[in-house]
Amino acid sequence: MRKRRLPLVAAAAALPVLGMAACSTTGSSSSSAVSPGAASASAATAAAKPLTLAVVPKAIGFDYWTHVQAGAMCAAAKLGNVTIDWNGVAAETDITGQVSLLNGYIDRGVNGLIYAATDVKALLPVTARAQSARIPVYNIDSGTTPQQVPLFATDNLKGAHEVSALMNTYLHGHGNVAIIEFQPGSMTDNQRKQGFVQGLSAYPGLHLVADQPDQSDASKALTVTNDILTAHPTLNGIFGSNEPSVIGASQAVKQRHLSGKIVMVGWDAAPDEVAALKSGEISALIVQNPFRMGFDSVIAMTEHLRSGVSVANEDTGVYVVTKQNMNQGQFKAILTPSCANPPLPSSDPWLKYVHMS
Amino acid sequence: MNDPRGSAKTSVTDADTEDVRITLASRVWLLPWRRRLGEVVAQATALGALVVIGIVLTILSPHFLTYVNLSEVAVDAAVTAIVAVGQTLVIVTAGIDLSVGSVAALAGVVGAQLMVNQNLPWLIAAVGGVLVGALAGLVNGGLVSWIKLPPFIATLGMMGVARGVTFLTTGAVAVYGVPAGFTALGLGYAGPIPVPAICLVVVIVIFGAIFTWTKLGRYARAIGSNQEASRLTGVPIGSYLVLVYVLSGVLAGFAGMIAASRVESGQPNFGIGLELDAIAAAVIGGASLFGGQGTVAGAIIGAFLIEEIRNGSILLNINTYAQDVIIGVVVWVAVAWDYWRRRHITDRARAPATAEIPRTSSAVTPPFPRGLRPRN
Repeated sequence: MRKRRLPLVAAAAALPVLGMAACSTTGSSSSSAVSPGAASASAATAAAKPLTLAVVPKAIGFDYWTHVQAGAMCAAAKLGNVTIDWNGVAAETDITGQVSLLNGYIDRGVNGLIYAATDVKALLPVTARAQSARIPVYNIDSGTTPQQVPLFATDNLKGAHEVSALMNTYLHGHGNVAIIEFQPGSMTDNQRKQGFVQGLSAYPGLHLVADQPDQSDASKALTVTNDILTAHPTLNGIFGSNEPSVIGASQAVKQRHLSGKIVMVGWDAAPDEVAALKSGEISALIVQNPFRMGFDSVIAMTEHLRSGVSVANEDTGVYVVTKQNMNQGQFKAILTPSCANPPLPSSDPWLKYVHMS
Repeated sequence: MNDPRGSAKTSVTDADTEDVRITLASRVWLLPWRRRLGEVVAQATALGALVVIGIVLTILSPHFLTYVNLSEVAVDAAVTAIVAVGQTLVIVTAGIDLSVGSVAALAGVVGAQLMVNQNLPWLIAAVGGVLVGALAGLVNGGLVSWIKLPPFIATLGMMGVARGVTFLTTGAVAVYGVPAGFTALGLGYAGPIPVPAICLVVVIVIFGAIFTWTKLGRYARAIGSNQEASRLTGVPIGSYLVLVYVLSGVLAGFAGMIAASRVESGQPNFGIGLELDAIAAAVIGGASLFGGQGTVAGAIIGAFLIEEIRNGSILLNINTYAQDVIIGVVVWVAVAWDYWRRRHITDRARAPATAEIPRTSSAVTPPFPRGLRPRN
């Protein structure tokens, strides 16, 4: 499933979250070796040599990954003379399929390889093979362990920290909260839970009273949430840590006529999640930025190949979308990203290499 | 253990054919006491466990014995129980159906797609989803009965195929936007009773009748008791075995539609591990993985026991991983009991029982002259 997002432990760049200015420094480190002339040089890259970049998601045909594709295509169009080869396997669990797909691109001699790893270990040899063929590799969304190449991804720990801050705001510092996990043991799940729990420790009035997993099955999420609501009639807030968790948990809250009485904070932005946000069943959604993953990685790869710009890990950030802000500029852009209305913060270090009109 | 042609069953004795003949000739409640005893004791044990755990939970949690919680348990158990009834029917034939979880998910998303993308009336779309389950069951049954694959392998393949097709048809994205009428199937109430519980009662009545009154029920037991002997007795094994898997698929599809209705969407991730819950429910309720034994009542009791343990674990805030441990241990106990009772009750009883049957009245021609049976 697409829920396995690797974190950015050493994320350099930070993003505005909740529309607030980011707390840490914005990432000049993402492009630390940019020479003063690099930007002006890139302005003339229309005449630069043509590049073919392979961009490989975990799987094709997924809403989330189509946003990555839109970002990559948008960047290529703005850069000029860059061709994107977009292809992927049908299911995110098809690790060997992705390995052979990537090996095919290496054999064909693409100029650069950008991919989201379906497995933290199994893809390491592919990265090594590409590098020995002098093809630079970047990871998007999910990387490998150890992370040997730049990774453009969501910082799950930081996103989950935001959830606890939101709970604190909505519950005015007091209440009982629960988390619906999806796949205990997966790195993404662990980090979202860890970030949430760590965040809660800053708010002594908030108590984590229940923690149940649903195996990314909305029916199970519905069942466990129902049971949690039975066991803890005084529950005030629920964090659904991925799409099925949110769908199942909000369904349980709705069935018990507790919508609006229980604060629901969810992750991702599936159509039903957005609809529930609109109707008030969900208070806030933590939304990742797949468009930016595709956009930034393609610009970074192109600039690296053409101008030797060095590239580091990048936190592509999360947005906190609420009923109030969901129709405003950047928040609308993150829910329905397009090249005409790209969800890119002005602090994006790669914006300076292209002309967005 | 799941191969009906396994070495344990290839030797056909006169006693075996007599056994089958008696199975075919009698109503379930008239079966020899030794056959019934195992089932009855297992069911009584499971029912006792259900009640005892219920009492313990009532004492430990003020929330357990409430209308809201019990109706929730009933709704949750209904999905597992409906699948477990089909699973039991398969297990009675000494088979197994590992595909039910994947088939339920496939039925759910196809049904949802028919409503959302094809704009079919929800009732027709839901029936379409159930038919997808039937089709998967037909393939399972065909592989087992006609291609002669072991049930474990045939349904293991279907488990992968159905899940894969589920992901392919949806692109692994949940199907949202089902019509409001459809949600009544999983979320509605008839007075104080949730609709899924009513669906379960309907399934219990229909399949209870199938198990007890019909040729299919008797043949399933006969096939499970000894497939070779049943063949020699003239049971049309092929088509009945196919029908058994089709019914299991139908129930899986039905459960998938209820689950889809409950979350108002077709979820490609639904039912991972559901097959194991269904098998556990059947076994806890007294079905024997060696075939020939198993009842609808047992499957229902087993499913409610599993659901009760799961519900209780959350009410008591027991670690989630511990729930799986508890259910796993219960399955061990149930299967160990199955082995024990076969060795100590059934077999001990078999020797004198077979001696009492007058051989001359047998309509079965012995497959081999006495003393010339094939060595296995």
